This record gives sequence, C-alpha cells and structure tokens, in this order.
Amino acid sequence: MMLGLMAIIFFNLAANYTENTSLSKLAHYYVEKGPQEIGAANIVTAVVVTYRGLDTLGEVTVLFISAAGVGLLLRRKKAEQNNNHKKINSVKETANTHKSSSEIVETATELLLPMIILFGVYVFLNGHLSPGGGFQGGAIIASGTMFLLLALPKSHISRLLIAITESLSGFSYVVVGVLGVVMAGGFLDNRFISSGTYGNLFSAGAIPLIYSFIGLKVGFELSAVLDRFRKETSNEEDDPV
Amino acid sequence: MVATTDTIDIFLQPLGIYILALGVGFLIPLVYRVNRNSAILVFFTALLIMIVIAGLNLLAIINGASVMDIETAGIKPPFSINLRFGLFEGACVLAVNTVALLGAWHYLPRLKQHAAALLLYLILVMGINGMVMTRDLFNLFIFIEITSIATYALIGMERTAKGLAAGFKYIMATSIASAFYLLGTIFIYYQTGTLNIDDIIANQQLIIGPIGFIATLFILTGLLIELKPYPANGWGLDVYETAPGGIASLISVGVSAGVFFALYKVLPIMDLYLTSIAFIGGFTFLISNFIGLKQENTKRLLGYSSIGQMGLLTLVIALLVQLDASAHIPLIIGGLFINHLFAKAGLFWLAAIVDRKNIKDWSSIAKHPSLLILLCILLTALVGLPPFPGFWAKWELVMLLASEQLFGWITLILIGSLLEAVYLFRWFSYARNVESSESVEKPAEVSVSFLQQIPIFITGLLLFAIAYVMSRFMNVDNQLIYFPLMAGFAIWLIDRLNVRVKSLIMLLAVSIGGYFLTKDLEGINKLFSYLLIGGGILVSFATLYRHDDRKGFYPLLSVLLLSLATLLRAQTSLEFFFAWELMALSSYLLVMLGRNKQNCDPGIRLGNDQKNDQKYNQINAIKPALIYLLFSLASAYFILVGFAVSYSATGNYFLFSLGDSGTSTTLAFSLLAIGFIIKIGGFGLHIWLPEVYAEADDDFTAILSSVVSKAGIFGLIIIAAHLGVRADIGLNPAYVLGWIGILTATFGALMAVFQEDIKRLVAYSSMGQLGYIVTGVALMSHLGWVSAMYMTVNHFLFKGILFLSVAGVILRTNERFMYKMGGLIKNMPVTFTFTMIAIIAMSGVPPLSGYGGKWMFFNALMDKGWYWIAALAFFSSAVAFLYMFRLLQTVFLGQRKLEHRKLREAPVILLIPQGILIAIIFVISAYPKILIDVISTAIDPWISNTLVWKGTAMQAHYGYWDAPLIMAIIAGAWIAPLILLLLFAKTMKVQKVEQFNIVYAAERPRRPEETHFAYNFYAHYDRAIGFVVRPRATAFWNAVIEWTHSFAASLRIFYNGNGQTYALFIIMYFVGLFLVNGGLAL
Amino acid sequence: MNTLINFPISLIVLCSGFILILLGLWGMLTQRHLIRIIIGFSLMDTGIHMVMVSIGYVTGGTAPIINNAVPMSEATNLVVDPVPSALVLTAIVIGLGVTAVMLSFAVRIYKTHKTLMIDKLTESKW
Repeated sequence: MMLGLMAIIFFNLAANYTENTSLSKLAHYYVEKGPQEIGAANIVTAVVVTYRGLDTLGEVTVLFISAAGVGLLLRRKKAEQNNNHKKINSVKETANTHKSSSEIVETATELLLPMIILFGVYVFLNGHLSPGGGFQGGAIIASGTMFLLLALPKSHISRLLIAITESLSGFSYVVVGVLGVVMAGGFLDNRFISSGTYGNLFSAGAIPLIYSFIGLKVGFELSAVLDRFRKETSNEEDDPV
Repeated sequence: MVATTDTIDIFLQPLGIYILALGVGFLIPLVYRVNRNSAILVFFTALLIMIVIAGLNLLAIINGASVMDIETAGIKPPFSINLRFGLFEGACVLAVNTVALLGAWHYLPRLKQHAAALLLYLILVMGINGMVMTRDLFNLFIFIEITSIATYALIGMERTAKGLAAGFKYIMATSIASAFYLLGTIFIYYQTGTLNIDDIIANQQLIIGPIGFIATLFILTGLLIELKPYPANGWGLDVYETAPGGIASLISVGVSAGVFFALYKVLPIMDLYLTSIAFIGGFTFLISNFIGLKQENTKRLLGYSSIGQMGLLTLVIALLVQLDASAHIPLIIGGLFINHLFAKAGLFWLAAIVDRKNIKDWSSIAKHPSLLILLCILLTALVGLPPFPGFWAKWELVMLLASEQLFGWITLILIGSLLEAVYLFRWFSYARNVESSESVEKPAEVSVSFLQQIPIFITGLLLFAIAYVMSRFMNVDNQLIYFPLMAGFAIWLIDRLNVRVKSLIMLLAVSIGGYFLTKDLEGINKLFSYLLIGGGILVSFATLYRHDDRKGFYPLLSVLLLSLATLLRAQTSLEFFFAWELMALSSYLLVMLGRNKQNCDPGIRLGNDQKNDQKYNQINAIKPALIYLLFSLASAYFILVGFAVSYSATGNYFLFSLGDSGTSTTLAFSLLAIGFIIKIGGFGLHIWLPEVYAEADDDFTAILSSVVSKAGIFGLIIIAAHLGVRADIGLNPAYVLGWIGILTATFGALMAVFQEDIKRLVAYSSMGQLGYIVTGVALMSHLGWVSAMYMTVNHFLFKGILFLSVAGVILRTNERFMYKMGGLIKNMPVTFTFTMIAIIAMSGVPPLSGYGGKWMFFNALMDKGWYWIAALAFFSSAVAFLYMFRLLQTVFLGQRKLEHRKLREAPVILLIPQGILIAIIFVISAYPKILIDVISTAIDPWISNTLVWKGTAMQAHYGYWDAPLIMAIIAGAWIAPLILLLLFAKTMKVQKVEQFNIVYAAERPRRPEETHFAYNFYAHYDRAIGFVVRPRATAFWNAVIEWTHSFAASLRIFYNGNGQTYALFIIMYFVGLFLVNGGLAL
Repeated sequence: MNTLINFPISLIVLCSGFILILLGLWGMLTQRHLIRIIIGFSLMDTGIHMVMVSIGYVTGGTAPIINNAVPMSEATNLVVDPVPSALVLTAIVIGLGVTAVMLSFAVRIYKTHKTLMIDKLTESKW
C-alpha cells in the first residue's frame, strides 16, 4: 500500500514534468565558458574535474573508504586463516581438476588483458576531449582485473602494489588540488598548468593529470574490492587495508 | 580565496581540514605498512590540527572577522562549490572535532589495530566537517555518503553477530534516506537550475507546484530520517546498542550533528513544513524518553536519550525559525547541542570502559569514586541541571517559548526532560548501589585504568568551561552564583583528610562564605539568612558525631548550605533558579549518601506489618533519593514555568518585578506555589518526604527538615510578597493554598500517629507542622505572616532538636522501631529532657514558643474568617498530642529492654546544638517580642503593621498574649510538683515484667512484638479513623508509575528488530508527511 | 526524434526510472534474502540515476562535448545539460561503494549467522 502511495507521488512528479527546452543557468554558464576557462572539450569533464572538483574528490574518497571498509570487513584473523589454509589446500586439488579454465580462455585472456588495460588508460587520458574520464577508465581497468580473476582464478594480485598505487595516486590528487590554491585561483583549480593547445592531448591544464590519478586509483581500488570478495586467504598483519 | 604563496596560511584556512584529512587519509595505509606507531602519530596530529584550524578560524570570527566563504576551483559560486565558515559552522566543527579527538583517544586500542580503521575514522570526521561547511546541495549529499559509508565500515569492524545485523539494518535505512535526498536534490535542480544552497534560497519562488512540493519533501525526509525520528528509528537504536562505544558516540553526537546542521541549512526552503518538523521533533523527544523508562541495556538507553535529544533540537530549531528568533540560536541550540555532544559522548565512553551491559550491573562501580563522579557529572549535564550548558539553554528556551505563549511545547519539553531524568538517574542509582539487591551474585569489580578515564574527564571539564562562557553571554554578572560549587570543589580536594579536620574546615569555610554572602541582605531575606545559614551551620555541627570517613558528604554539604545563601541573595529569577536547582541537586546527592549497610540494622527488613509492608522493603536510601530528585525536578520545572509566565508579562528577570505580571499573575503565582509546595511536601505531593527523611543519614535528616525545607517556605513568602500582596492577587489561589496547608497539617499529623518507625513519625510530624506555615503565608495578612515566620523559626528549633535527639537514640540503640525501645530515660536523660522540651515547644501549649505561634495563627485565621480551616487546625493540633505522647512514652518511658541496659547518653556533639536550640526556645518563649519585632520589620514593606503591643503583651481581637507572664506562672506551677516528684522517685518501687512473652488468652500473636504495648500503639484510633490515612497518595503515584511504564512498553512495539519493517517505516514517514501537508490536494 | 511519439523521450526515461525505483523499494521491503535486498537497492539506485539523466535532457540536445559537430559558438543551443551527467557519474560511484559495503556485510553475516534471511537478524530490539 505504501508503495502504491509512493507510486502516486511519482506519478504526480511525472505528470507535472515537462522536458527542458533550454539549459539551466548553471549549464549555460558551463557550456558557454567551460571550454575557454578550463580548456576541456568535454564539458562534463570540466564540470566533474574543476567546477565540481570537490564532489569528485569526495567521490574518490567514497570509493577509497568503501574499499577500505570492504577490506576491514572481509579481513581474516590469523587462526581463521590457518584453518582455512588447510581447507583451501584440500579444495585446491579438487578445484584444479574441475575448475581450471580451458586453454582457449587462458590464451584469450593473455591476449586481451593488455588491450583492456590499455583501453582503460586511453579513456582516462582523453577524458577532457572525448566521452570518458578517470572513473570510466578506472572501471575498464577493473573489468580487466575481473576478467583475469574469472579466467585465471589462481592468479595473484599484489596487495602491496595496489596499496601503494592507491595511496600515492590519492595523495597526488590532493597535492594537485593544493597546487591549484598555491599557483592558481583556488583548491582544485586545474589552471596552474597552461591550458595548452585546445583539443590536444596535453591541454586543459591539469585535467589529464588529475584524471590519470583518478583512473589509476579507481582501477586499483575496484580491483582490490573484487580481489577481496574472491580471496579467502590473506594476512591481517601485512594487509591492513 | 586570494592566491597566496604562504602555504601555511592556506592550510590554516577551513579548507585545510579537508586537505589534511584526505591527504593523511590516503597516506595512512602506506605509513602503517612501514611503521604502525608513526601512522598513529600522523593520525592524531591530523585530528589535532583539524581542531587547531577550526579553533583559530572560529577565534578570528569571534574577534570580528567576517564570515568566511571559501570558493574552490577559482570560480565564483554558484558555478563552483563553496564552503562557509561562520560562527555556527565554526562552533559546530570545533566541537565535533574535539569530541572526535577524545573519542579516538578512547577508542585507540581498537582503532590502531587496522590502518583502515584509522583512515575511516579520520575521513568520517572530515565528512561531518564537510556536511557542516558545504553550501552545495549535491556536495552535501556526497559528504553524507562519505560519513555514512565510513560509519558502515566502522560499525562492521567488530564483526560481532549482533553488530553486523544492526549494521545491515542501518545501511538499509540510511541508503533509502539518502536516495530520497538525492531525488529531492535533482528535482530542486530541475526547478531552480542551481545547486548552491544560497542561490536556491534566493530563487525560492522557482520551487513551486507539485514538483517543488515533493522535491523539498524528499530532501526533508532524507535528512529527518537520518536524525532518527520515532518510530522510524529502530535501526539507529540497534546500532547504538551494538556498536562499540567509540563508534556509537561518534554516530550519536558527530554524525547527528552534521545531519542536524544540514537540516538547519535547508530550513529556509522548508517554510511549509516547519510545523510538521516541530511535531516530529517534539514527538520523538517525548516518546523516546517514555520508552527509555523500560530500557535496561546501557547503550540502548543512551541511544534512546540520544534520539530524544536530537528530537528536542529538531523541535527547537523548527520553532526558532518559525518564530523568527534566530538571535536565540547560539544560546539555545548551541547550549543544548554542546551539552548533548560532550555529555553523551562521555557517557558512551564511560559505558564502554565500564562494560556492563545491564544498568542493574553498574553497582560494580559503586566503589570507584572517580567513575561515579564522572557518571554523576555527565548525567547532571545531560539532564540540564546547573551549572552545565543545558541548564542555561533550557532556561532561555522556556523563557522564549513562554513569551510566545507556547505553553503546550513547554509542557512537552519539561515532561520529556523529567522522564529522561528518571531513567538516567535510575541508572546512577544502580551504580551507587553498594549492596545490589537485584542481582543475586555480586558483580565483579571493574578495573579501569586512570588513562582510560582521561577523555571522559576532559569532556566534563569542557562542559564546565562552556557553561561558564554561556553564563557570561547571558549577562549573568553575578559570579557569586558559582561560589557554592567552587567551595564544594575546594572542600572535595581535602576530602582525604581526617573526618574531624575536614568537617571543621568545611564549617569554618561555610561560616565565612555564608557571612559574606548574606551580610548585606535585609528584610525577609536577612531573617531567613539567620535561619538557613546560621541555623544550617549550627545543625551541621552535629554531623561531627559520626566517626566514619563520609567521603563526599562535606563537599556536598558545603554546596548545599552555600547555595542556600546564594538563593537568598538572588536578585533575578535566573539566579534564584540556579541556586534552587543547585540546592536540589546537592541535597539529592546527600540523601543518596545516606543509610547503607554500616549504620542500618538488617533486622529492619523483618519488622514489617501490613500497614507498612510496602515501605520497608527498601533497605537503603537509593530509591528514596531518586524519588526525591524527581519531585525536586518537578518542583523546579513548575518554578521555571512560573518565572517564565511572569517574564512573558514583564520582560525582565528581576524578582522585584514579578509583581508587574498583570493578567498572568494568577497563573504565575499558582505555578510557583505548586513548585514550592512540592518542595515543602504539601498534601498529595508529600510522598517523597517520609521516605527521604527516614532513609537519609540521621544528622542530614535534621538538616533537611529544619533547614532545607525552609527554602520552600522562603520561596513561598517571596512569591506571596511579590505576586500575592503587591499585585493583589485576589483571594482564590491564596484560599486554595490555605486549604492545602491545613490538609497537609491534618494528614501529616494523622499519618504520624500510626508510624512504628521513629524517624517516620518525626518526618510526618515535620510535614504537618510545615502545613500550618503554608496556611499562615496564604493568609496574606500581617498577623498571618508574622505567625508563619514565627512558626518557621520555631519549626527550625524544635525539628532540629527532635531529629538530632532521634539521631542520638538510633545511634545508641541501633533501632528505629519504637516498640523495640523504651525506658531510655534512664540512659539518656538529657536527650529525654531536650525531646520533651522540643515537643512542648512544638505542641502549642504554654509556656513555650509554640504557644505564641498558634495563638497568632488562630487569631489571624479568625480575623480572616477562615473558620473551617481554623477548625481543622485545631483538630490536627490535638492529633499532634497523640503522636508526641507516643514518642515520649514508648521511647523514653515505660520499661527498658534488657539489651539496652548499658547504653550511654547521646554523644556530646549531638547534644551541644540541641542545647543551643533549647536556649533559643527559652529566650523566644519568654521574650517573643525580640523575634516578632524582627519579623514585623521584615514584613512591613509588604503589609502594613497591625500588631498592637502593650508592654510585653500582644493584643488581638480575641485576647492578649503576654509571654513573660505566662512563663512565670507556668514555671511557678511546675517547679513545685517537679521537686516533689524527684523526692518521691527515690522511694517508689516499680515492678518489672518480662516483655514479649505475654500470651493473651484468645489471641495468639503472629510475632512477639505484637504483644508489646508500644506496638501499634494507637490501634483503637486506627480502627476509628485509620481509613483516612491509608497511603492513598502513594497508591496514586504508584499507579502513575505503573501506567507510565506500561504505556512505554506499548510504544516500543514498533521495534521488532526486522530491518524491513524499519525500512517500511521510513517510506511511511515520507508518505505520511506528504499526506499531512496536503499532498493529495495538489 | 520525439516527433514520432506524443510525449518527450526524457519522460519515458523518467518513468522507467520511477518504475525501477519502485521495483527496487519493493524488493528491499519484501524480499527476505539479503542478496535480493541488495539487488533491490541496486535497482533503486539505477532508477535514480535514470531519473537524474532524464532531468538533464534538453529537447533535441546532444552530448556536451565541443567538436566539429558542436562548435563552441553554438554549443549552448545544441547540447544537453552537462550538470546531471556530472552528478550521475558521482552518484554511480557512490552507489557502487554502498553496494560493495553491503555485500561484504552480507558475507560476514553469513559467516556469523549461517543465514542470509533478514527476519533472522532480530537479536536487538525494543
């Protein structure tokens, strides 16, 4: 019944909705000024990275803390882990016979994985020019990881590498933001690097830089989350995140 | 923000909080890998710098800097996101960060085990800061989510079964709430084309039609749900119950603070819903506190209290915005908020380190003075007693609401506060309970290191400091109101000294302090200062008779006595109320220190008959103390509202302008009178009195009865003078008061007649005697007041003596039942003599002082034409003879018990004050003019003098009273028989009979004492008029308690523990708000 | 392209979004299984994202990227609102984060309770 009433409310909203025929005040400003001010062809990118940069920093933070949270929740205690180790050893043998992927899948993975990751990198580097950006690129990289995990369940992903990349790229993002304060107009102002030639890869100030950090961070964080759900063995001591 | 090369400067901007938290947050996992301790160091440094940043910027704002608007991305808002750091933001951020740092300290043992925990905690705090500072609707959403996700993860950290289940419900609920918020945001953007809150407010006219209505409703529901309104809050309670204290405290005070601030930010577009918000807040406050009554789980109890407090804040902010009274926000909201913030956080930590799930098991800290003191301070703060911020805020709030005539809300708020006080202090009672009668096996002592207490201790200190600042802001110039507390603290510092030394120091300190506080008083106040301070010190001298350590007794006693002095000094109703509450609090704690194992005869449990069965199953002072506190608080609330009513008419707090209350006079007078009557123990509201007097320490009962009860009389006279006489209140309320007084007198006397317990007998007698005084005050005539004040002085004299001699008797016999005594005249002749003189002084027979009081009293009653009251007064005076006779007869006369043969006289220290009091009685009896002149001068400014003196004789319509003459005659008539008696006593032989072994022919006694003549002494009267004195009032109040509890139980049926039900309530909330605000009409 | 049908295209997206939200809520309220509840949440979240995107649509607009088809000078007349697109990007990531945490709660709950039925998780109440 409650949902029925909710439906009435939504219907009310829909019935009164009329499609916009012109841009909102905010959007108008962004579309008009964005390309010159920020130097990014992709206006969504300009909005995401600069105008609403604080949102994006927050978004990166959200991802970071959910990765940390998943890690915290799915951590293993030492006793539990040793126990499991035995179990896994015994499971492993059966798994080896049953669940090992076919050769075709393995070969295809080896072939496709570098391409997927490369594509991810391409997407986040060109975020200011074409559709895409750090999050999309990161997601593509993570999908590569997922692919790897599905195809080759035994493959090992270095936690240390993930942690270092995650931390450093996040920290660098903040540093870039601060550089914006020191060298340009304000926190997360991307214009402390010259805008370059409009439409080039190295243009739009620090956007490619920021998007690279975001891309790396998102990619590695999502991979870490995926890995967490997969992996039953880990060590609390060397695995604090 | 202007670009600057000074990097330090940038970091000290409010934005630095984010930069720091995020930068450090991202790095912590790496640092942790390298070295755990340096990660912890970095973590704490970051938290500390966050406090410093907030503090420095807030300081700049207070010193006149303009509100800081921080832009990002070098673009002006609304095109970029901006933050704001003004006074409110700064205060909120500073407070939250401080609590977060202390909480991290408290919770460090767990936090430091995982890098993730450290970074989540840090980012959670940053998220709250962001919620407070951001001015962008969508950015706010992100900060809400950052906070929520960090909270989820930290809740899940312990990974207990219960905690995980609670966490999942929490996620479900909050994710629906934030979904609502997000939907609202996007539709607001659809209509206004902007996300900047200021821009939205400026373009409010664009939010129209059904879309605008629903969009704002979505935002409102989203935020309100996060504040956990009843009944859509079961998920929050589950988390409070199961999360570790360090996390629960952060959710309760930190996250709620952020959400509350967010709500405050969007209120300008919520005009339509302000009434709904107020109702939701008020409802939540009231109901949570109701349900809290039934709760025994410590943390869930705190959860109910948290939810209640947030409800109160929601109610108040909605009202303030509705009344357009934003100037009051800093004091009221700020005070309530900070009070809740620190007190609740401290309590959660305390609950965590004590680690007792059920409040009944808290007796394990009964021997931990430091924990007890912390608990007491935090609870006191939470309930809003002085000197804490909540007290000032509550005062301001009630004054404001009264001046807007919103008495419904005042009632709701005060009832809620009272309920909250019940369950919070019940918890304290359990903690204080040395011998826990509830649990069979004694719970193990807790071991808590000193270090663990430091964060809690700091919150306590902060509460004191903030309270002081608040009182300065409220223009309380009179710093002397703090004097009692400071003196109490100073005495507490020497509490380890020998009991003799510290008690003498305390008496000296109070004498000096009291002298300076009261020396420049005049009129009625001066008169009462002799009584309360002089008398207080005199009776307190008797406390020296005890040799045990009495930890805490002397500090509290000094607070009590000095707060009486500040009460007399009070110029404004605020000062009066401050002193009043301080007095109530300190006397509550003193009562609580009373009767426990070492001076309580365990046999008392056996000695119950049908009549007193119910009363005697309590063996210590804990429960009576709680009842005492509740009645004191109720009395204080009546007084508060009374003052508020008067303030709404006069617009100032001065006591002397009470009389200008105009049409509100009758209401103000009635409310204030009820307040004071409760404190005096008036008829129907007296049930606390016998319990408390009986169970408090014997010497403290003397102070309570002879001194503290006079504070109520003082209040009554003050209001009668200001409101009754000056503003010419008309007869009706005064007439009612007169009846209340005389009924108190009658029933007090009747109840006293049937008591077996000596202290109860004197307690009821005390109550009855105060009844005459109330009637005297109610007469509103010169003679009436003179008689009232005269009887007040007299009451002080004889009750002081009676309770002190009773203390001596109990000390020696270790008994409280009169039938177990008898014949003590041989062991304690001095005590007997003193008691007898006190009884004569009380009874109103010539020649002693009571006679004069009664004489004037009856004259005044006849003058006024209150014949029925006079008749009842006459009747109760006659009844008084019965119990006084019983006291003398069964305790001192008759046959002595075998085991009492070797008893000694009461200690000299008890006898000295009694002797002095006796001397005063004789002086006053012989020369009443000395006293009456003083009284008359004090009263003259209010009512013109009608006394007629002829030499030493006072003239009245119905005759004259010449005290010295009567004294002479009686003395002559008595001394001759006395001498004869003493002579014959040597030669008379008295036959001795064994006691307790006389078996009647037809009746077989159930217990040996039934055969004793002193047992059920007035059985024949009991058969005749006993039905009048059955404890009907007690039964009534018990029924009230019973009903309240079952009502509370029925209110919590919604909390069935199922996450989906909770989610359904959230949707119902939204739909309900939609319907209530006329959604279907759109 | 909206000449083919009677009402604007974004309304279809909007309504689909609402239907998804309702479906998701229905799932969260009626399904006892935790994983299904999480799916319900995801559905609701997706629904909200669709609503957000549809709000940003401007009749006849195209992606707000300046290129040969959308010259800078005429961009304001040709593109859809970039703001909701930016917001939805953020919202998706947040939804993902919440889902991940919910799933890890479900994993742990299964370990401690040996069940995934929400009506078994009622240890704390009143």
